[in-house]
Amino acid sequence: MGTQSATTSVYKWGMVIDQDLCIGCQACVTACVMENNISFVGEADAGYGRTMHWIRIERFWEGAYPDVKNTPFQPVLCQHCEHAPCEPVCPVFAAVHSLSQKTNLQVYNRCVGTRYCANNCPYQVRVFNWSDFSRPEPLSNMLHPDVTVRRRGVMEKCTFCLQRLLQAEDKASSDGRQLADGEVITACAQACPTNAIVFGRIDDPTSQVSHLAADGRAVHLLEDLGTLPSITYLKGGPSYGRNG
Amino acid sequence: MSEIKTFLALFDEIDPAVAAIDRLREQGVKDDQMNVISGIPLTDHILGRPRIWSNVPRLALGGAVAGMLFGIFLAAGITNLYPLKIGGQGLVNGAPTVVLLFEMTMLGLLASTFIGVFLDSTFPSYRPKEYIADISDGKIAILYSIQEEKVSEVENMLNSLGAQSITPSERQPL
Amino acid sequence: MVATAEPLKQAHTVGAEDPHEHLMLDPKPRGEMNGMVMDAMHTTSWKFWVVAVFLGLIVLTCLLISWGYLIAEGLGVAGVNRPSFWGIFLVNTVYWIGISHAGTFVSALLRVMKAEFRRPFTRAAELMTTFGLIQAGFSIFMHMGRVWLAYWLFPYPNVRTLWPNFHSPLGWDFLAINTYLMASTMYLFLPLIPDLAMARDRSTGWRKVFYRILSLGFRGTEGEWTHLRTGMTIFAWAIIPVMFSVHTIVAWDFAAATRPGWSSTIFGPYFVIGALQSGIAAVGMVVVLIRATMKNMKYFIRPEHLDALGKLMLIVSMIWAYFFFNDYLVQWYGGDKFTQMLLEFHEKGPMGWMWFGMLICNVAIPFLTLWNKKIRRNPSMLFTIGLLINVGMWFERYIIIPVSLTINRMPFTWKLYFPRIEILLSIGTLAFFVLIYMIASRLIPLVPVWEVQEGQLAHGLRKVGKAEVKTVSEIE
Repeated sequence: MGTQSATTSVYKWGMVIDQDLCIGCQACVTACVMENNISFVGEADAGYGRTMHWIRIERFWEGAYPDVKNTPFQPVLCQHCEHAPCEPVCPVFAAVHSLSQKTNLQVYNRCVGTRYCANNCPYQVRVFNWSDFSRPEPLSNMLHPDVTVRRRGVMEKCTFCLQRLLQAEDKASSDGRQLADGEVITACAQACPTNAIVFGRIDDPTSQVSHLAADGRAVHLLEDLGTLPSITYLKGGPSYGRNG
Repeated sequence: MSEIKTFLALFDEIDPAVAAIDRLREQGVKDDQMNVISGIPLTDHILGRPRIWSNVPRLALGGAVAGMLFGIFLAAGITNLYPLKIGGQGLVNGAPTVVLLFEMTMLGLLASTFIGVFLDSTFPSYRPKEYIADISDGKIAILYSIQEEKVSEVENMLNSLGAQSITPSERQPL
Repeated sequence: MVATAEPLKQAHTVGAEDPHEHLMLDPKPRGEMNGMVMDAMHTTSWKFWVVAVFLGLIVLTCLLISWGYLIAEGLGVAGVNRPSFWGIFLVNTVYWIGISHAGTFVSALLRVMKAEFRRPFTRAAELMTTFGLIQAGFSIFMHMGRVWLAYWLFPYPNVRTLWPNFHSPLGWDFLAINTYLMASTMYLFLPLIPDLAMARDRSTGWRKVFYRILSLGFRGTEGEWTHLRTGMTIFAWAIIPVMFSVHTIVAWDFAAATRPGWSSTIFGPYFVIGALQSGIAAVGMVVVLIRATMKNMKYFIRPEHLDALGKLMLIVSMIWAYFFFNDYLVQWYGGDKFTQMLLEFHEKGPMGWMWFGMLICNVAIPFLTLWNKKIRRNPSMLFTIGLLINVGMWFERYIIIPVSLTINRMPFTWKLYFPRIEILLSIGTLAFFVLIYMIASRLIPLVPVWEVQEGQLAHGLRKVGKAEVKTVSEIE
């Protein structure tokens, strides 16, 4: 996957997720599955905590039925932390930090399946290939040709659609220009009907992501752990703008 | 120059054996013409024999240094040769380096001690040697070389001290 | 009892123990002791074969076939999930490494502290170290997703310029456990050489060839003994810090992680003491079994040894209780809300019975029983208490690994762990441990007779006032 050569431009990719706009429709989950060749694990394994979705919609609510108020949805995906706890603990360097995209990489070919990275991820966004899941015909026709199909024993997680990033970066550098804001977008951001997920360069102060991240509602997940995540959440609910 | 003959004298107890060593020395047998083979370790203090130097401690120290150098290579060498950025941590960190250095130093120390014992004792060696199976039953054997004319005199002396048996020693496969 | 001649060898003071009760004060000629040990090795009853075949069948089904199935199908057939990515395989790994610390404790720490009671069973304990580490190694390999690539953890130059990551506690683990495995095997072998020479002198046929090759031509010359003893001294002193470091590094697999309940600074010494606790209890069990099943062992292993082991079990249990309470109190008092939820889950959750069982087996039972000399000296009682301590320590590691992993900072992912094929594989590793131990007892002299004779030579009785006291000389 992409060499870190000195001639490519260095971007820092990030995301803003507006919890006020998220309606919990799971279109992002589906789009991610389609884009990244994620396996279907079946009902039994899914009920046992072995779903392989790279993004999940967490549902919270306040109060008890019928007085339920405030059901914020929280899409959780790999936060691509700058100080990722998953990276130092992999004994074979399968979890490393990309120098040119500033994302957290999972190298499938190198993973030996010790699962320490998954234990150490405070957001629990890493998923493991517990078996070789089958894709009976014609499901195999939906496989994205630019994305590896992972076999059993290998860890995986959200890559910020690295295949799209690399393609776009290649095109931009061959055109001799920088990537424009909005030129490349992740599958989840593309599918979201309410534009709750916004993707872009957070090192570019003029990008939409940077503007949204400066909002008064902006928080980071589990900020006190010091992981420096690349995803900013905009708090929803009736108390936005204050400590809610 | 009369022929030198080698004998193996077997003793049951420590005190007679030590007395025998002294008397053999009086008879002109030099320290390096004697060897004491026993079923339990008897120090040179107990036997009244010259100090035996062992290379094992020096080899152990050398091995420890080699281990430490290998630890430094693992901690700093490969990380600088083939750097990979992870977790916001630096390439070489103090605390993990201590762990690596400690483990590799100890491995070097212990492996070289083991090999040192083998080297110093020339293990394994399967050539024929002077030995009697009784030794592993807790007996003490004195292997000595003496001139032919003194043979019977020494034999009588050892018998009077309580030697169990005195046999001309032959090299036999163990 | 001899009434005349050598009064210093008689016990006559009212109320004193019979000194002949002590192995060190009840010497037999070395030739006779050698014969007893060789006899114990050669005498194999039909019961041995029945148990060995039974264990062999268990190893075949629960270890070999099940493991092959696990590798072929992937970890889905095990019970690990999110968030309990580590389950019984890691529990077993930590457990077996803990058992392996017992051998080093007995043969190294007790040697350095000149505790003479260690002499007859140091080899039996040291065998547990090597065989326990083998089971730990199996358990680590079982938990890996792509075990056929396990060699990537070994630092070797390759064209891809990829080396293992020694930032990772698993990288330190790899180095430490391998160092410990090699060191303890070497330390098992060094004092074994003179006994192999003895076995060579007393064997015929294929056994003689076997022992002749393994004894390396050892005779017992002054030079050989000097080098051997120098080597053993270096090993005894140096392997103690290695032993402490190994289980501390294993503890850091958990303590270096960011999980609530895991990120505890006391884990290092806590795990070391836990290892000693299950290890010494296991030595007690093994020693009782050897005494009960092998010929002539009642001469070598006496109630005094069970007594000493029982005292050690009690002391280590107290130290374990101290470390456990230290960990618990500090987390309960000042922990964040997730740690508090975790502690509540431990005590009141679905695995609360295991948490209480752990405390009863590790603390209550030793405290209530092992202070009593009669209980300590009773083989079946010591075996039972040792077994319960081992069960309690296994529970402790189960609580620390899969149960603690269930509670993390993302409540949406909480899901309880249930083992599947891990149960069969655990039984398989245990059966394999017992099986190779039984095979070793047929091939290796289990009692280091030369060390026993050395100890008997150094011990004597001396009159002080009206009492006859044991004396030990330092002839080493």
